[in-house]
Amino acid sequence: MPAQTDTLLRYRPWRGTLRGPGWAAAAMARASVTLLARRRLYWGLFALVLLVFFFFFYGQYLVVWITTQTADDTVLIGGVKVPVANFTKFLDRLALNGTDHTFGNFIWFEGYVVVILLALAGSVLVGNDFHHGSLPFYLAKPIGRWHYVLGKCLGIGIVINLATTVPAVALWVEAGLLYDWQTYYFDNLDLLAGVLGYGLVLTVTLSLLVVATAVWVRQTVPMVMVWMGLFVLLRLLAGWLVDGLKADPEWRLIDLWNDLYLVGLWCLQADPATVRPQPQPAYWQAAVVVAGVCGACAGYLRRRVQAVEIIG
Amino acid sequence: MSALLELENLTRTFGAFTALHDITLSLPPGRVGLLGPNGAGKSTLLKILMGLIPPTSGRGRVLDQELGGDRDSAGNWRLRRLIGFMPEAEALVPGLTGVEYVTLAGELYGMPRRDAQRRAHEVLSFLELEEARYRRVEEYSAGMRQRVKLAQALVHDPPVLLLDEPTSGLDPAGRDAMLRLVKTLGADHGKSVILSTHLLADVEAVCERVVIVAGGRVRRVGTVAELCGRRDDRYRVRVDGDPAGFRDDLETEGVHVLGEFGPGDWRVAVPRGWTNLAFFKLAEVNGVVVRALTRDDETLEELFLRTVNA
Amino acid sequence: MQQAVTEQDATAPPAPADLAPCPAPLGAPCPTPLGAPDPSPLLLFEQASKWYGSVLALNQVTLELTGGITGLVGANGAGKSTLLRLATGQLRPTLGRVSVRGTDAWDWRARRLVGYCPDVDAFYEDMTGRAFVGVMARLCGYDRREARRRTEAVLERVGMADRADRRVAGYSKGMRQRIKLAQALLHDPALLVLDEPLSGIDPIGRQELLELFQALAGQGKCLLISSHELEALEKLTNHVVIMARGRVAAVGTLAQIRGLLDDHPVSVRIDVDAARAVARRLLDLPDVLAVEVDDAGLVVKARHPKRVFAAVGRVLIEEHAEVRRLEPLDESAHAILGYLLGGSGRT
Repeated sequence: MPAQTDTLLRYRPWRGTLRGPGWAAAAMARASVTLLARRRLYWGLFALVLLVFFFFFYGQYLVVWITTQTADDTVLIGGVKVPVANFTKFLDRLALNGTDHTFGNFIWFEGYVVVILLALAGSVLVGNDFHHGSLPFYLAKPIGRWHYVLGKCLGIGIVINLATTVPAVALWVEAGLLYDWQTYYFDNLDLLAGVLGYGLVLTVTLSLLVVATAVWVRQTVPMVMVWMGLFVLLRLLAGWLVDGLKADPEWRLIDLWNDLYLVGLWCLQADPATVRPQPQPAYWQAAVVVAGVCGACAGYLRRRVQAVEIIG
Repeated sequence: MSALLELENLTRTFGAFTALHDITLSLPPGRVGLLGPNGAGKSTLLKILMGLIPPTSGRGRVLDQELGGDRDSAGNWRLRRLIGFMPEAEALVPGLTGVEYVTLAGELYGMPRRDAQRRAHEVLSFLELEEARYRRVEEYSAGMRQRVKLAQALVHDPPVLLLDEPTSGLDPAGRDAMLRLVKTLGADHGKSVILSTHLLADVEAVCERVVIVAGGRVRRVGTVAELCGRRDDRYRVRVDGDPAGFRDDLETEGVHVLGEFGPGDWRVAVPRGWTNLAFFKLAEVNGVVVRALTRDDETLEELFLRTVNA
Repeated sequence: MQQAVTEQDATAPPAPADLAPCPAPLGAPCPTPLGAPDPSPLLLFEQASKWYGSVLALNQVTLELTGGITGLVGANGAGKSTLLRLATGQLRPTLGRVSVRGTDAWDWRARRLVGYCPDVDAFYEDMTGRAFVGVMARLCGYDRREARRRTEAVLERVGMADRADRRVAGYSKGMRQRIKLAQALLHDPALLVLDEPLSGIDPIGRQELLELFQALAGQGKCLLISSHELEALEKLTNHVVIMARGRVAAVGTLAQIRGLLDDHPVSVRIDVDAARAVARRLLDLPDVLAVEVDDAGLVVKARHPKRVFAAVGRVLIEEHAEVRRLEPLDESAHAILGYLLGGSGRT
């Protein structure tokens, strides 16, 4: 008769059916979000995301309120009568009126935070696996390489959507409540679809890009530098070429965030002529670039994940 | 019960380099030590057994699961479900606690989440990590890291455990604990263990059988006792006291001193018809005390070096 | 339990080196290397203690090395690496003194006498082995020609001359270890400090390294080697320093240390015909505590090893026993370490 502790600690067999590798990707996504949520920096960045969101949220409300409540009122400033509507002129640029550009602009502004958020996510979720030799842990399991990439992309996708699509949908719901909800929701279902489409494009492209760059550079600081180069330097360069040197608008295609924005506006079915700053390349050109980036990242990942030595 | 391993004329080449050359091998379930110097083809063999790379030619089975095909094929998923692999690399996911890490492993193997969680707790307490369960894995000591790596291989209760250098970096106490656990799993819980290591003493402590791979070929297969040569005329003898007179007397009696490990500590060859009592008699005459007398059979290490250098 | 190292009262003032009541290490296998006998020991720890913040890593260690190979064993976290870093002058003791041939180990002059082979792989992975050792030689202060000469010499010595033009990144663990050893040998130090040189190396590489260590000791160098691989260490030397909880628990040969552990009776396996008759005789001996008889022979548990072994010999002779094996079961470094660290061997 074994001692009691012995019985307690004795190894017990497990009998059950193992599920397919799709579930493994879901588990990886969940673990990825857990890992990120344990970083304080993540919450700081998420607070910025919320800040942008609330700016748009209350901005929309404010614009509606001013136009309905104080339509033709004026206030005296230094003895000069100024229409109240002028005070919210600066908000016009943001188009806080529940139209296609509202959502486009919102996601555009969230982009600044998302870029840093993703640099962090990439190094924490993917870079660490290479750095600490965790790949054998994943790849020795009954899953394919693509499930690994899928799992990581899902995790990153959740983060991206939490910062872009989900608040954008919230703005859409809000706009409906501010205007005539009975007509707004029905008339603007295509806008909702556009927001979701934009989110999908962002998710796929950025998560692939994050995983690929993280596999390439692995650590946070170099990762942030690569992302800054990609999103800030190339943007400046594109602006300088097109606006400064009056080069072809196609030069704006080197600015990936702008490309995503254009594809997003395409999803939202915005008029190309209303996109600022003008001139812009055509939507389809941006879509080709985005697809190309996705393809390049997928190809790179395929090569790198394949080359990983699991044993010795 | 079907064989643990069944390999027929298995060959694997990388370009012009032949990593494994025409390997035919059959092993019953049990604990097997896989030995070989660096570059012997050991890692290639492990990768093939896990279905991570297909053999170039030849056939093989692990517990009736056919080897071969793309690493991401369903057949190889089934194969990897049979195997709990404990990698040599650190392989931890920093930021997760022990129990989350093992749960994640269970889910990666395809266990439902609740089952994986329950099982993670069970396995961790079995491996004496109960108190450390909720601590993050990156805070673990070397011994705990190795055990949590074993836990993640064990979580789905696989019939085969494939352990790559499970005792590297462990101190003697940690190493003992790990070897004891591995042996228990094999002997009492019916797991087959394939242990790949450079530490021959680990294999002696845990394994029933040994496979020595060198130059891409299997050079030796069998139990340690079968393989190691028995040398009836060789002894290792150690005496306390001034050994000079004792040694002279031994040599007069026809005993050859083959090597000296220290003062009064020799490897000797005895002549035909020698009785070991003569050691004690000569010691008494010379005023020394016999502290140890063991037959100098071939050790696993000698066998290994002989095999590999051949 | 009497220890091989005397631990002095913490309040005692540090005595000058020549007066310190430091016991000579028991049976250091090799005397001081050839040449004029140097009065000061090669490596001397005098009540050295080291704190990291509030963590006590090394607690009043007194140790003297004169030559030959000394093994350093102990659990992870017992203070082995700290001791080695103090010996190489990378750390300075918080209290006490560490000296190399009379010079403070912290002093750069002492480092001329010490070669250090760290446990971590700290290479510039893109360099070739030869370039790496060459840079290290330049760092030692040799001019270009001398550095090249010494680089070639040490690479030859560790058997890497033909493989040194490959990138370090592609080296096996054994080759990395050789390169680390090569850079430690550049300035021909009298004391070589090696931290875990055998971990992760395949048996062939290990065999070659052990031979290399033996050759170095044969050339009169003093080697201090820490290792978890007691079997390998036992082959190399029987002079060991056992550390536990930041202290030196024992110094000496394994047999001597075993002899000091009075509270643990020795177990001796005797495979013999007529085991029962021999067992009865053995039980009559005063020092014998217990005898277990099994199929192959018997196991004796007894106090006072020295007396017991002599008595066992006599009994065997009188009984005309056909002895197949006589083996103390707990004289291995492994068993002794287990005893010293208590039961399970955990710290």
